[in-house]
Amino acid sequence: MSAVEPTGTPGGGGSVVEVRTSATAALIPTIRAVASDLAARADFDLDAISDLRMAVDEACATLVDVASPGSALQCSFTVHGNVIEVEARVDTAGPESTVSTDTFGWRVLQTLADEVELRTDGGRSVGILLNKRADPTPR
Amino acid sequence: MSAADSEYGHLTPLLSEYSGIAAEDPRRERLRDQLVTGFLPIAQHIARRFAHRGEPLDDLVQVATVGLINAVDRFSPDKGSDFFSFAVPTISGEVRRHFRDQGWSMRVPRRLKDMHVSINSAVSELSQQLGRAPKPTEIAERLDVPVADVLEGLEASEAYRSSSLDEMLSSEQGSATVGELVGEADAELDRVDYRQALRPVLAELAERERTIVMLRFFGNMTQTQIAEQVGISQMHVSRLLTQTLGRLRSRLDPDTRTG
Amino acid sequence: MSAPQDSTRPGTLVTRLEHQSSGAAVVWVSGEIDTLTAPALDEALTALLAADPSDGVVGVELSGVGFLASSGLAVLIRAAHQARAQGRDLHLVAGGRAVARPLQVTGSDRLFTLHDDLSTLPGGASSQVD
Repeated sequence: MSAVEPTGTPGGGGSVVEVRTSATAALIPTIRAVASDLAARADFDLDAISDLRMAVDEACATLVDVASPGSALQCSFTVHGNVIEVEARVDTAGPESTVSTDTFGWRVLQTLADEVELRTDGGRSVGILLNKRADPTPR
Repeated sequence: MSAADSEYGHLTPLLSEYSGIAAEDPRRERLRDQLVTGFLPIAQHIARRFAHRGEPLDDLVQVATVGLINAVDRFSPDKGSDFFSFAVPTISGEVRRHFRDQGWSMRVPRRLKDMHVSINSAVSELSQQLGRAPKPTEIAERLDVPVADVLEGLEASEAYRSSSLDEMLSSEQGSATVGELVGEADAELDRVDYRQALRPVLAELAERERTIVMLRFFGNMTQTQIAEQVGISQMHVSRLLTQTLGRLRSRLDPDTRTG
Repeated sequence: MSAPQDSTRPGTLVTRLEHQSSGAAVVWVSGEIDTLTAPALDEALTALLAADPSDGVVGVELSGVGFLASSGLAVLIRAAHQARAQGRDLHLVAGGRAVARPLQVTGSDRLFTLHDDLSTLPGGASSQVD
């Protein structure tokens, strides 16, 4: 799995867009608009644009649910060639605020993205890393 | 209702004939005219139902007639349903779409609206040819326009869908439409082809300014909503947006590049 | 009076229940369906399925929808199951890609009867011609 660092990617030119908002569901529409805008500019096909928008929405909604009160939602989008990698992260109150991967939403997220990974940080924060390729990969 | 039956009964055989006729048959055009003229009272009736919403009745009748033509073209008598229950929702749907477009056109420049229409037809053609959804560059190539125009048009299409809210709200509450509520400053901002130009400028902004601009342009929030979200006054939001607009302008337009 | 300017914003939803001339009951939905607005959709669909005789044709008109998240999908799927339990289908006008794509990707499209527009909804109890 590739790292979040944009440097060292073959075919390179990885540009990073970071978005930081308060962790509230009301701001997710803004973040998913950014996602679909980036995917369109990276020349993803319209289905892939739609998939990424939905995946980012799902990831953010999941995280906002477990965020500690008043914390921020940090989203970084990295475009390398024909892959967009997204990392979304929120601060959590403690190790008991975990993301459940046994949900309909998580299954949808796995279907939409090419790779999804949950990253926890000793109860201090939790992040979702996902990436989406421009061209559909045969499974 | 047998009244409807007798009024339009003579058209029923014409409908069957029309649905079976070959596209190149010379009688097709005349048959279609006869049907549309014959059923016109239905379209007029539906148009009148929508007439209290501030659109000229003539326009509505015209739109409803387009709906009627679609209904005539797509109706197949062998499917068992009668023409009325097929035509009425088709015509009403057309009129509704018209209201949706009207609400939309208040906020979206004509150019984008046209682009939206071209993109839609290019997308359905290309989807069939390619067997998958097309990419923005493929759409641009098909329409022979710059990719930037396509990107802008795609974005406008999203705005278009949600803007049918205009129609629903105004019909429900008789209040001002969303288009009328958009502030003057916002209208000015909308004239800038913002998102593309914004990218380099965004990076230069301080975090709060960046958040405000993002909420305005990507979140499509009003100044008041942004003020609430960020916790500053609406005046302050307005000032910051105006400053950003100034910076944008000086980048976009060489004539105003003074500082 | 409520504040209509909220609707300029993505993430807002409007629903309206309407009876078609064909006798079908249809909920018109417009806006974006996500975690914030899915409860409103749920309410509208519950009303749709509760208010109508269980042999009536029920549909949801989604062509005014610009976004559909998994939370909204879950609501639609629940409503489809509920309709099925009442012995009828839930008809959907999917409209644009924003709705059709999530249905297709998740395979949930087969739970509904899909239409391009309302004109293909079953005629129900229309009494005009034979």
